[in-house]
Amino acid sequence: MKLDPAIIARIQFAFTVSFHIIFPTISIGLASFLAIMEGLWLKTRDGVYLQIYRFWLNIFAMAFGVGVVTGLVLSFEFGLGFSRFAQIAGPAIGPLIAYEVLTSFFLEAGFLGIMLFGFNRVGPRLHFAATCLVATGTLLSASWILAANSWMQTPSGAVYQDGHMVVTSWLHLIVNPSWLYRLPHMINAAYLTASFLVAGVGARYLLQGKHLPFARRSVALGTAFATVLIAGQVFIGDLLYGTMLKHQPAKMQAAEGFWEKESASPAPYYWIIVPDQKHQRNRFAWGTPYLGSIWLTHSLHGRVEGLKNTPPDLQPIMGMTFYGFRIMYGLAIVMFGVGVSSLWLRWKGRLFESRWFLRTLVVMTPSGIVATLAGWYLAETGRQPWVIYGILKTVDAISPVPARALLSTLIAFACIYAVFMAAFLFFTFRLIRRGPTQLTSHAEASGSLKNALRPQVLDQAAVGGR
Amino acid sequence: MDLPLFSACFAAAALTLYVMLDGFDLGVGVLLFFQKRDAARNHMIDSITPTWDGNETWLVMTGIILFTAFPIAYGIIMPAFYLPIIIMLLSLGLRGVSFEFRVQMKALRRQWDTVFGIASLIAALMQGLIVGGLLQGVELEGKRFTGSVTDVFRPLPLLIGVTLVFGYCVLGAGWLIYKSNAVIRQFARASLRATSVGLILLFGYGCAYSAIIQSGVRLAWALHTVPLSAIIIFVTLAGVAALVSTWSKITVLPFVFGLSIFLLGIAGLSVVVFPNIIPFRLSLWDAASPSASQEFLLVGATLVTPVVLAYSAFAYWVFRGRTPEKGWEQ
Repeated sequence: MKLDPAIIARIQFAFTVSFHIIFPTISIGLASFLAIMEGLWLKTRDGVYLQIYRFWLNIFAMAFGVGVVTGLVLSFEFGLGFSRFAQIAGPAIGPLIAYEVLTSFFLEAGFLGIMLFGFNRVGPRLHFAATCLVATGTLLSASWILAANSWMQTPSGAVYQDGHMVVTSWLHLIVNPSWLYRLPHMINAAYLTASFLVAGVGARYLLQGKHLPFARRSVALGTAFATVLIAGQVFIGDLLYGTMLKHQPAKMQAAEGFWEKESASPAPYYWIIVPDQKHQRNRFAWGTPYLGSIWLTHSLHGRVEGLKNTPPDLQPIMGMTFYGFRIMYGLAIVMFGVGVSSLWLRWKGRLFESRWFLRTLVVMTPSGIVATLAGWYLAETGRQPWVIYGILKTVDAISPVPARALLSTLIAFACIYAVFMAAFLFFTFRLIRRGPTQLTSHAEASGSLKNALRPQVLDQAAVGGR
Repeated sequence: MDLPLFSACFAAAALTLYVMLDGFDLGVGVLLFFQKRDAARNHMIDSITPTWDGNETWLVMTGIILFTAFPIAYGIIMPAFYLPIIIMLLSLGLRGVSFEFRVQMKALRRQWDTVFGIASLIAALMQGLIVGGLLQGVELEGKRFTGSVTDVFRPLPLLIGVTLVFGYCVLGAGWLIYKSNAVIRQFARASLRATSVGLILLFGYGCAYSAIIQSGVRLAWALHTVPLSAIIIFVTLAGVAALVSTWSKITVLPFVFGLSIFLLGIAGLSVVVFPNIIPFRLSLWDAASPSASQEFLLVGATLVTPVVLAYSAFAYWVFRGRTPEKGWEQ
């Protein structure tokens, strides 16, 4: 069998980057959540907040650890699999990632140690400052990496000259047309992810009748955050859709599942399609009549543009882009439903009693992660066949590394990342099963957070708080 | 202003910090093999737990400076050392998650510690392999790598790899003498005595062997005979001083001498390689990105690096003194 290095290099990058993004999504969301919890604890001295902080800090630490080591791989992978891309794009996006390392990675690393192990070495205020700085670091990191990725989606501020990009305006390069929408979209996604994690774990305890003060507070906070965030996400997502329609029409054509230059009128909204890229048609399509016209053209009989508007050699693969979009969008609709239901139940005073709602929350625990991954599939597969949209094709960017070497390292990545995932899930489920009161106990210490963090003190505070 | 030269200095500084800082972390990792008692291993790992992440970040910094300022060199080095780099990254990954996962469960801790040790050893070996591979020479055609990804698995790179493992062990042992309790200090002193002798011998052998097989190294010797001879003498002296200082009461001395070995070693390497970035093949200026990119990078580096160094130092200061018996949370 003849292996194509371009395909294997792409599978390897897709696998490692998909695996990686799960963990920053969790840690960006949890870092800000932890900062809010510690801040609330400092302000109210209500022990439940501290219990929530302590519980999620463990999971945050593991997610952060896996995120760091899988991110380390990515900073070299630009060159490992795609050395032509590195040589051409290095002058343009290299500095953005250098700024990410300087302003974010060091900040996170410097204060993470204090956040995780410094309870006893620094005062509560300084500890809170460390938590806030780590959270700031995660947001800065997202800003820079989204600037780099958005530049690959909608390049501006640089021209191709003598075999590499020459930057003409750093402002236009960083504040490229899609960054201002994609950055809040991603941060919001990370916050939604954390909100559903927190609400889901709380709901699980409520259903089991365990750790009730912790569980009620988690559900109350998680659903409140999620409701506000999903409303914002729908709004930002709509703006981003309009922007991408303008800059990358092929992506949005593929995302809606129509082939013909103009769809039938009225256009349906497809939920399931079986696309046949070779013959440029759908073998099967199932959707809701009229809904496509209404949603996409805001009229009852509007026509939607199909993928045939783009020449076949410049088309993305419709199936991947379409389902990336549908999974993300479908989950957003369900999240919106959860948000509305939580408002209704809160108003009725039944937020902690309604079992169907709590069960839904448990099912929705990982929904943010799945939606974020699906969104990235839409973004990245929809950009193909370009790696830098309109400037460099992915097939022209790869390294002179033989397919065999690429394949063997892909297998190595798969095996070792499987260990990471298995260990992360195992330890996370164990922490959830043990619950917030079973955390490792600490010896006596005075004049620091230390004492307040002892489980007995927390339990008393938790009981007293309710 | 010679921007590529400044960028190269920034890259060299980042690499030096990485080698010295993560060097002792990896050394402590390798020394775990020789420590059978669980409590002792806990204590050894505790001594590096709060600061390892920042130390490792200097490696990312080095890679990204190369990507930004010398994309041509980055695009050659990554495919040329494809296998050792990926093996190194996976090893560093396994080591990194071991920090988080080993504390989660007592039953599996021994297994995670084994992973920690093996991963540290392989990461160190691969780093030496890359340096040795660069000295051995990379096959180029214009600005593209045309050799084979297995070129690096030859005697000189392997020799430098083993030398680096010994060097990191000296650093790691020095760190433990400085940071740990009396029991571990005994163990660390014994380790340092053994590894420093090995390091000096391997270092001498590596210098001689690289001059034999690589005409570029011989040319550097002809051009810079005095500085290179001085550096070799001082590295040997620093190695002997590290060895002798294990009998001293001042527990920080062996670590300081260990760091000086690395500073001198990197200085020597720079003398041999300069003004090239791919040794004996491609100069800094031929591999450099346009000045707009260099300027933007250097502005950030000048403004932010002092702040980074300040709060990194603060993090070390928070965790100053000897490692507590039951970890930092005590």
